[in-house]
Amino acid sequence: MFAQSMYEFRNALHERGIIFCYSGYVTEPVLTGIGKTLKQKLVLEETDTKTMQNVFAIFVEQMQNIVRYSAETESDPKTKETELRYGLLSIGMEDDKFFVACGNKILLGDVKRLNDKLERLQELNKDELKSLYRETLRAPADEESKGAGIGFIDIARRSTRIIDFDFMDLDDTYAFFCLKAYV
Amino acid sequence: MSGAGMDNMQLEATDRSPAIDFKFDEAVFTITGESYPEDVSTFYGPVTERLFAWLAEQSPESVVFNFELIYFNSSSAKVILGIFDALEECAERGVNVVVNWHYDEEDDTMEELGEEFGEDLEHATFSMKKFSA
Repeated sequence: MFAQSMYEFRNALHERGIIFCYSGYVTEPVLTGIGKTLKQKLVLEETDTKTMQNVFAIFVEQMQNIVRYSAETESDPKTKETELRYGLLSIGMEDDKFFVACGNKILLGDVKRLNDKLERLQELNKDELKSLYRETLRAPADEESKGAGIGFIDIARRSTRIIDFDFMDLDDTYAFFCLKAYV
Repeated sequence: MSGAGMDNMQLEATDRSPAIDFKFDEAVFTITGESYPEDVSTFYGPVTERLFAWLAEQSPESVVFNFELIYFNSSSAKVILGIFDALEECAERGVNVVVNWHYDEEDDTMEELGEEFGEDLEHATFSMKKFSA
């Protein structure tokens, strides 16, 4: 029964085209490890340089986004400082394109702001994204608001399709946020 | 070492940070590899601090800066922009500054990013250099 359920779980991921899936606490060493393995896999697939770098870059931005901003956290009981942040990340193939998708909890109060920023990115063409990238890079750090800065613009620029995102309210405090980019 | 009185700076590349080769005595600076350090300020802080101080204080005839990056993340982009700004300021003071942006010929994202950084240079000489991996 155990093997069957694990195998079904594996197959459910495969059916979605998923090559890699990580759900858990994301730390910088986790990013390093999965990143290395992802590169190996992309090299084995003989992915062209540009696609490989774009998949990898989107992976890094999404992982660092979880590490920095996921609202599902584990804190040190003494210092109260956040030690770990929980998130989900998957990489796969769909219609001959790579996708990189992430999901994590955010505070309900952040949904609107994030939604507006990402909707704006969806409306911009490549040249407009390029201008926004430059503008944002030049802006002082404190003006680049938490959670929707240069990283999301970089993802949108490198994505060959319009980025996909969604929110779902979970309770009075949290919503689930997910983002998917195709290369 | 020449009379500049400053040690050169060499850092080996790691999985997530580029190799740094700053030859202060020759005024030739090179950053090579991939850049997505865990903490951008921890890695680049000491590097840019010395570079910026040197660029502001010294008046060499010429400075060459080579970017040989395969990949950099969005946090590193801010640091790269800061280096471009410092090089441009140095060139404004009359130093002959040459900035070379090396990119993999198969990666036009890196080509485009290089061109964008280069657009902001008015006094420094900017050149794009292809390499094949």
